Amino acid sequence: MARKRNIKQTSTNSGRKLVTAIDPKSPISEQYRTIRTNIQYSSVDQEQRVIMVTSSGPAEGKSTTVANLAVTFAQLGKKVLLVDADLRKPTVHYTFGVNNLFGFTTVLTKQRPLESVVRETEIQDLYVLTSGPIPPNPAELLISKSMEQFIEEAKEQFDYILFDTPPLLAVADPQILANQCDGSILVVFSERTEIEQAKKAKELLENAHSKLLGVVLNHKEAQKNDYYYYYGAK
Amino acid sequence: MEETVGLFDIFHTIKKRWNVIVLLTLIAVLISASVSYYILKPVYQASTQILVNQKNTENKIDYTQLQSNVDLINTYRVILKSPVILEKAIDKLNLTQSWEELNQHIQVTSQENSQVFSLMVEDQDASKAVVIANTVSETFQEEIKGIMNVDNVSIIAKAELKQNPIPVKPKPILNMAIAFVIGVMIGIGTALLLDFMDNTFKDEHDVEACLGLPVLGTVQKMPKVHEKGKRDSKTQTMGSEKVVSSVEK
Repeated sequence: MARKRNIKQTSTNSGRKLVTAIDPKSPISEQYRTIRTNIQYSSVDQEQRVIMVTSSGPAEGKSTTVANLAVTFAQLGKKVLLVDADLRKPTVHYTFGVNNLFGFTTVLTKQRPLESVVRETEIQDLYVLTSGPIPPNPAELLISKSMEQFIEEAKEQFDYILFDTPPLLAVADPQILANQCDGSILVVFSERTEIEQAKKAKELLENAHSKLLGVVLNHKEAQKNDYYYYYGAK
Repeated sequence: MEETVGLFDIFHTIKKRWNVIVLLTLIAVLISASVSYYILKPVYQASTQILVNQKNTENKIDYTQLQSNVDLINTYRVILKSPVILEKAIDKLNLTQSWEELNQHIQVTSQENSQVFSLMVEDQDASKAVVIANTVSETFQEEIKGIMNVDNVSIIAKAELKQNPIPVKPKPILNMAIAFVIGVMIGIGTALLLDFMDNTFKDEHDVEACLGLPVLGTVQKMPKVHEKGKRDSKTQTMGSEKVVSSVEK
């Protein structure tokens, strides 16, 4: 079924991105686990299984956040599928060091079944679905009937499905996807994300009738009075 | 709700934007240094000392005469800088400048209750400053007899050209010190202005206040150890991306 990959032997980029896999005892890994716990308890009545991670603009840490969250969910013993839904500038295949010949678009266009395209990673219970060949019409693919079928099929096989998406203010894709997910997470980059842009992003998600689970504040300056400032990695 | 800016916030801003402050201070000092050393031409000063004292045949000191000499100095200071003296000095030296221009380069100073006053001349040429100072004081000594009908002026110290004359202007160290202080002030002002104009998220409070959404968590800046990434000898390059040998399950 799935092909196994070695995280430690991936692209030079992944060492930075997958801190939860490389250094699980580090304060940053603990912070990702805190986010995971907060997601789990964000809704008492309904379990959030299909989650989309997005941001208002580019380079705010969506891919890093979603990849590390996927690892932390997998560390709970849950079967997790990380889907690269950024059909403009995909990065998941770089993070996990896999090729991108087949992937999400291949499944949506019904060229290949989900089982044959999903790749297993070195991390137990974590599976990745790369973007696949970049189509000329990403938004149309996401709004299609096959997208609904894909989510239903993925929900049968996995406990959690996490989507890495493009920036909200750049393209319409995240809005389309947000409507089909159980919840959305907005990533903001400390001292870079503008308040007005984030407000617009929030508005777009609300217009898409998406349940906003909350915000992840990324790249925050460590303060001396922060708890993790004292909590050293083993 | 009004937002108050405390001393701690100001210190935090200064600490956070120290590079802006350092950069602007450095620029200010460098500009000051380059202007002082390369743009401004050095100005040299030459001075003569003139004594106002009525020649006394008797050996006793006449205090009334002494006081009148001191009082005369203020009058002499005006006369010394007047066209009567300066135009004659210009003619003697064949200078191209007008008496008004020469007047701007001349300073007359005297100490309180002293019969001595100093004539100081500034010029970009040290030797020229010496010549002007001596000529003006000599002309004054000659002309005052006819103007005031008294012979009570004598030159006690002539201007001399030193071997290595030190310019009085500009003062690069002083200029740089002033520029440093101004640079620091502008730097701090700029840092505070940048912080005031900065409309980005800083912490959880900003997120909650502006978006009204719960903060699921914060991720701090990644330490250098994680930012480097990890390479492995087993990594293969396929096209432009690095992949590893796959194991079919």
